Amino acid sequence: MSNSHSDTIPLHPSNSQSDIDEIRSLIDDSVHSGPAVVLPARHPATIPPPSSSPFISSNIPPPPPISSSSSLQKLQSVPAAPPPPPPVGNSSSIVANGFGPPPNTLTEPVLDTVKRDLWRIVSNLKLVVFPNPFREDPGKALRDWDLWGPFFFIVFLGVALSWSASVKKSQVFAVAFALLAAGAVILTLNVLLLGGHIIFFQSLSLLGYCLFPLDVGALICMLKDNVVAKVIIVCLALAWSSWAAYPFMSSAVNPNRKALALYPVLLMYLSVGFLIIAID
Amino acid sequence: MDESSYWNLPTSHLLGSVPAVVNEESEASYGRRGGGGRGYQTLGPPTEGFDQQSQNNWKGVFSISSYTQYFDVDTDVVVNRFISSFYPAGGDFFNKIGANPDLYGLIWITTTLVFMLAAFGNCATYLIQKRTDRTTSWSFDVGYVNAAACGIYGYSLVVPVAFYFLLRYLGSNASLVRFLCMWGYSLSIFIPTAFLLLIPVEILRWIITLIAGTASSCFVTLNLTSYIGGSNDLRMMMVAAFLLQMALAIFIKVWFFP
Repeated sequence: MSNSHSDTIPLHPSNSQSDIDEIRSLIDDSVHSGPAVVLPARHPATIPPPSSSPFISSNIPPPPPISSSSSLQKLQSVPAAPPPPPPVGNSSSIVANGFGPPPNTLTEPVLDTVKRDLWRIVSNLKLVVFPNPFREDPGKALRDWDLWGPFFFIVFLGVALSWSASVKKSQVFAVAFALLAAGAVILTLNVLLLGGHIIFFQSLSLLGYCLFPLDVGALICMLKDNVVAKVIIVCLALAWSSWAAYPFMSSAVNPNRKALALYPVLLMYLSVGFLIIAID
Repeated sequence: MDESSYWNLPTSHLLGSVPAVVNEESEASYGRRGGGGRGYQTLGPPTEGFDQQSQNNWKGVFSISSYTQYFDVDTDVVVNRFISSFYPAGGDFFNKIGANPDLYGLIWITTTLVFMLAAFGNCATYLIQKRTDRTTSWSFDVGYVNAAACGIYGYSLVVPVAFYFLLRYLGSNASLVRFLCMWGYSLSIFIPTAFLLLIPVEILRWIITLIAGTASSCFVTLNLTSYIGGSNDLRMMMVAAFLLQMALAIFIKVWFFP
């Protein structure tokens, strides 16, 4: 989402060189001038990261001063052939301007990306599944949707069910995964066909996040094997999931058709709950 | 993403509505929303045939708005049709549908039935085995889900289509959507049947199956007769419809509730 416009901003707008030639010249310069110039997490101080979400913490470190890098490079290149200073200055300035706004998310360390996605998952979870003041307005609730959270929850549920099964483990996983993934798509299409107003991927994201209580229930059921306890736990998890999904689904359609939109959601969660109880 | 554009959309006054992402091309199409279909605006430039939806417009196949006409029902209408499908006596289902056949019933009744057959089939198998052999333990056979899905979805899709093409070939007018709708609602009687078939008494199960099968088959046959007009040539069709529905009932009993 946020790096969608990184693909279209040209590297160096005022330069008449083509992009490929520019990149090649940069690589050549950096190869000649030593490894110290090519820093992976180089961010310009002037341009803020292109992000609209208040939840993304600004985890971008301040850019290293250019003078220190060139001095470092000068020290390192003394044993090698000393390069002329102006191309070094040019290449580093081109790097600072050329890789300017777009590839913050491309060139940052992997740990930053993972941390940011995990933080987004946690914040979405807090918005959707736990009581919070934004639940009344579904448009606000999942403004910063993502699909990583739903993916993890669906796969976790499939793995938990498959683990508990004693026979046909792979078939159990396939059924659970297909049921949840296809179910989310079909539920969203159902609301759209009934004339409701939702965004497709936002709805997929929401239905995936509402699986979190069932994930917790499946985890507990994996550990305890008593049927009565399983029934109670799954009922509680089901009620929680339905409560989480209810405001979003019911407000997306005409009030005359609310039940038509909600019934399939209940059916899907009920069938998943039954699978959790029934898999021995 | 431009946050301010969310609050300036024409639909933002609708309480609780989540405004769709709108770009400049589809901004204009919102003004026509009341006139054209009530469907969701597809993201991207609106197709030219949006207001004049011709049957030959290939672009309409992939757009949701061309299918919303089949889901133009309210909760009470669906419940009414559902309840009326339990009484096989009157042959007036097609009149009840009128100009507004819906595919909502077909899709969700079949899906509910698949789930019920898989769930209760496992329970019933366990109960019957427990009666004969005290030591059996509960085992969940996931194959029931696959069998139920293939059987029910296959039946509810193939049979109406086959009848539609056959009746068209034989000259009488037939409407595919109405057939799908009717056959979908005819399966609704199997939902309480699946629940009742949990009773682990074999004779009782067969009686319940036969009653449900007969009721469902009569529903299908009577409605089909009143729709087509009972002429002698088409009597074979009616008998075939009856037998197919009975075969489905017996299949459900034999496979899922042995």
